[in-house]
Amino acid sequence: MQIVVNNQILLVLLFITVLYGQSGNDIAKMMDERKQPKDMTSKTTMVLTNSKGKTRTSIIFSQLVDGGNKQILWFLAPADDKGVAFLKIEHSDKDDEMRMWLPAFNKIRRISSKKKGNSFMGSDLSYEDMTSRELEENEFIRLDDAAVDGKDCFVLGITPKPEAKSTYSKHMTWVEKSTLLPVKEESFDQNGNLKKTKVYSNARRGDYHIMTSIFVRDVQKDHTTSVKFDEIQLDSGLKDSFFQEKNLKRMPQQEK
Amino acid sequence: MMVTGGLFTNQMGVNMIFPVKEWFIRQSMENSKRTIRVMILLSLILIMGLSGNLLLVIKSLGDWALPEEIANRVFSLSYDRFAEKLPHVVFDEDVMKMLPQTTESRITWENVRDEFGSTDMGFIAFGLPGKSVFDEKLLASLWDASRALEELPEVDEVMSISTADRMDSDEGFLEISSLQPSRNLTADEVRSIEEYFEKLPKLKKRMIGRHGDYVNIMIKPQKAIENNVLRNNMVQISERFLGDYEIHFGGTPYVFGTIPKLILEDVLVLMLLGIGILLTVLAVNFRSATAVKLVWGVIVISLLSMMGFMGWVVTLTGSERFHFTMVNASMPIILMTIAAADGVHLLTKFLREMRKRKHVEKAVHETMQRLLLPVFLTSLTTIVAFLSLTFAPIEQFTGYGISVSLGITWAWLLSSLFLPAIMVQHEWDLKSKAVTHPSPFERIVSLYGNLITQYQKRILALGSGIFFLAAIGILFLKVEVDFTKFFKPGTEIRDSMDFMNREMTGVMDIDIRIEGDMKSPEVLNKVQKIQTFIDSRPSVHSTFSIVDVIKQMHRTIMDDDPQFETIPESREKVNNLFTLYSMSGDSDDFSSLVDYDYRTGLLTALMGNITTDMIVKFVQDTEKEVQSIAKNDIKTTITGLLVVLRELVDLVIRSAITSIMVSIVMIFLISWIFFKKGLWALLSVTPLIFAVILNFGLMGWFGVELSHVTAILSAIIIGVGVDFAIHYIAQYRNISKSGISSEDLTREVVEDVGYPIILDAASNLGFGALLFSTFVPVQYIGGLVIFAMISTSVGTLTILAVVAEMFKSRLMKA
Repeated sequence: MQIVVNNQILLVLLFITVLYGQSGNDIAKMMDERKQPKDMTSKTTMVLTNSKGKTRTSIIFSQLVDGGNKQILWFLAPADDKGVAFLKIEHSDKDDEMRMWLPAFNKIRRISSKKKGNSFMGSDLSYEDMTSRELEENEFIRLDDAAVDGKDCFVLGITPKPEAKSTYSKHMTWVEKSTLLPVKEESFDQNGNLKKTKVYSNARRGDYHIMTSIFVRDVQKDHTTSVKFDEIQLDSGLKDSFFQEKNLKRMPQQEK
Repeated sequence: MMVTGGLFTNQMGVNMIFPVKEWFIRQSMENSKRTIRVMILLSLILIMGLSGNLLLVIKSLGDWALPEEIANRVFSLSYDRFAEKLPHVVFDEDVMKMLPQTTESRITWENVRDEFGSTDMGFIAFGLPGKSVFDEKLLASLWDASRALEELPEVDEVMSISTADRMDSDEGFLEISSLQPSRNLTADEVRSIEEYFEKLPKLKKRMIGRHGDYVNIMIKPQKAIENNVLRNNMVQISERFLGDYEIHFGGTPYVFGTIPKLILEDVLVLMLLGIGILLTVLAVNFRSATAVKLVWGVIVISLLSMMGFMGWVVTLTGSERFHFTMVNASMPIILMTIAAADGVHLLTKFLREMRKRKHVEKAVHETMQRLLLPVFLTSLTTIVAFLSLTFAPIEQFTGYGISVSLGITWAWLLSSLFLPAIMVQHEWDLKSKAVTHPSPFERIVSLYGNLITQYQKRILALGSGIFFLAAIGILFLKVEVDFTKFFKPGTEIRDSMDFMNREMTGVMDIDIRIEGDMKSPEVLNKVQKIQTFIDSRPSVHSTFSIVDVIKQMHRTIMDDDPQFETIPESREKVNNLFTLYSMSGDSDDFSSLVDYDYRTGLLTALMGNITTDMIVKFVQDTEKEVQSIAKNDIKTTITGLLVVLRELVDLVIRSAITSIMVSIVMIFLISWIFFKKGLWALLSVTPLIFAVILNFGLMGWFGVELSHVTAILSAIIIGVGVDFAIHYIAQYRNISKSGISSEDLTREVVEDVGYPIILDAASNLGFGALLFSTFVPVQYIGGLVIFAMISTSVGTLTILAVVAEMFKSRLMKA
């Protein structure tokens, strides 16, 4: 028994030593390599609120694989948008593919935004915010650890390199040590002024720690976006081949 | 001495106990030294309200005179903070504060600003005549200037080729990207921009000049900014980045940021010239340095006391109504004319009495006996007229009215106590020409007095002729709020604005707020109809609304087929377009065209400078057309700075008319009470009515337009000038009681009171120097001072004098 206890103490000490010895880059790599579901299906509620308190609410049925590199969205609400669908396939060596099904026109249109800072669906999340940060395109510096809402966190100072062509000058990210998921982030514009604050909620689903909500505030525009993921299904067997243009027109039966 | 010990019976026949007058005489004659000290002390207390400003003036002088190092050490930041803590007048250049907040157009305008941001664009146009703007170097300069402007805290958005997005369609591919992708462009990229504009002529019209050689930068300011700060930054950035090109400026922030400071500087120089003329006229006629100094002393002390009062009120209450704004720029002139009038009347009377009595105290006593009441009455009526401004819809007028009233009260106290006390204390040379010989004006007036009695009917006929001729001029009176006309042609700012009107989009905008479902094709088609109608108006250079964006999106997703540059036929299609755009464009791209809920849209028309008449017609025609198009499906409201200003001018004119009516009624009532006869009261308002009609008539004949500046000033200056009538009647009554023959009565009155009236009017004509201003409104102020002085003095000495002469038998009985 004595031996077991000593081993446990040794393991904890080793874990602490490993944690304290990690660089910013190491932490970013760990985040990248953390265990993730193969696919995820959810019903997403997105509420946009402007500076005058006016809101727009959208409900979207979302399916993704490969950590979000391939994603398909069907709009369920508002009624005006019902049936509109969006497919995004990220490529590391070329521009991302984005296609949209416009039921009123009976057409699929490819879209592109060369402006990474443009918002996604009028929200405070830009395409850049939704894309994972490449390790080689950013500099990750570990700052003093801190606690957020009682959660022990790494604090990373992230500076995009010129090749990232980022619209931000830097980010401060608080990463929960136990889940390796961000719980809070502050992003600064090219002039070094605070642009956005993001607060994340995470939860455990089976073997995974996943994000369940994001609240983003654009402090310069005084505009907020709340995104909440419900009815989450993980590893339901979605295939890569499903993420094709032709499937945009086919809203999943249960959501019609 | 004719002091009656406690109670005084009015010598003008008013049977009332009047101890106040005697108290004034006793204080200034028996306790003259104490009176001087008390008045100086009280004035200093008021003037202390300027102590913060005084410290800053000392700092400016120190900065100018001392070496920089010493000046920096002496006048440190703590010096500024200390100065700010002391009472001080706040100089405020925000013209917007004078706009009433409760009028419908202002409320709509504020709503539009609230929903869509500021619509008062600033414009910078630059280029080289005859050289295409599609040039790598020019576009690089545009890039730098646009970025620098975007960085300004006063700027909400910059719209130029360098900041705009383009929407392209290529084999079913919708791409939204920057129109100018980078600072340094290749020849192909420049050509691509040029080709894009060829496809979208409406966009080209907004961004590029008519001949393709000037490029436009439209600057949308933040809502609450100081125009002068933005204006200075616009100029600095242009000089820094666009120095190789010809630059022109325009738009509300530029004009409003430029006008107040330039006008104040201009007015200051010309007012000094006016004061010089005033002092010269007084010196030539008084021929006594002491007399000139006394009049000038009353003017300066009352002016500083009034400003100090404003400083105290702002410091103690924080009220913005007592800030010194462009509206208040006329206050010094107004108070100078009023304070000068009291002093001139007292000094001329005193010197005439000295000539008769050869005794200082007797002359002072007689002067006070005769003039205390008329000076009080003229001050009272003017105070009442100014206080009526507190009912004006423009908040700034409340502070204006109260402050000028305080200044007049102070000028009255100084004239009634301080001035006679100094007269008593001063050692006058009884053999000086000032005492022994009549002045040049006095001799002229004496001749005039004879003319009045000899040719009364002809003079009345001539006066009436002038009156009726002038009255016809009212028909030609024009209301004008066109800011371009503030500057004379040939001045840099006027030429710049004329260029913007001629070559670019124009510098003014009118906005139509449209309430309705902005995704409904029915509503959008109506918006398009309204837009087509507005586009067809000759003064409109360009229009834009959400309809333009929808049509462009529609065309783009339909493989760039121009046939589809239309509003889609179903709401679903319109909605699909917006959703598609939201996936790749910026959420803010439409924020100046449609509100968050797509329930309200804004149609903006960029226009050249148009006259106020044309604005009225434009608004009326548009409202009529909009009504016929909109029916009950959509609700529309037309607004914009020009529309608000047009309404403002109406309000100011109403205020001016109210002020004139209040003046007439008050003068009538006060005269009736003090002169105890309706006929006197009627006569006292006769020159005022004459002056009002003559003034507005002459404005019509001479093309002086009625604006918020001229309308209020004409009312005020007339209020000032009408004091002459009260002086005339008071003296008429005095002299008629002295047993003079009816034949000599009018001549004697004209001689007695005509001289100070003419002297006062002539000395104030010095403010005619303002006619040489670069700024048209300031010229108008100068012209109005001349009009008012001539119309009121001539009105009193012709119409009133002749009517009094004709009714003298009845009046003498009264």
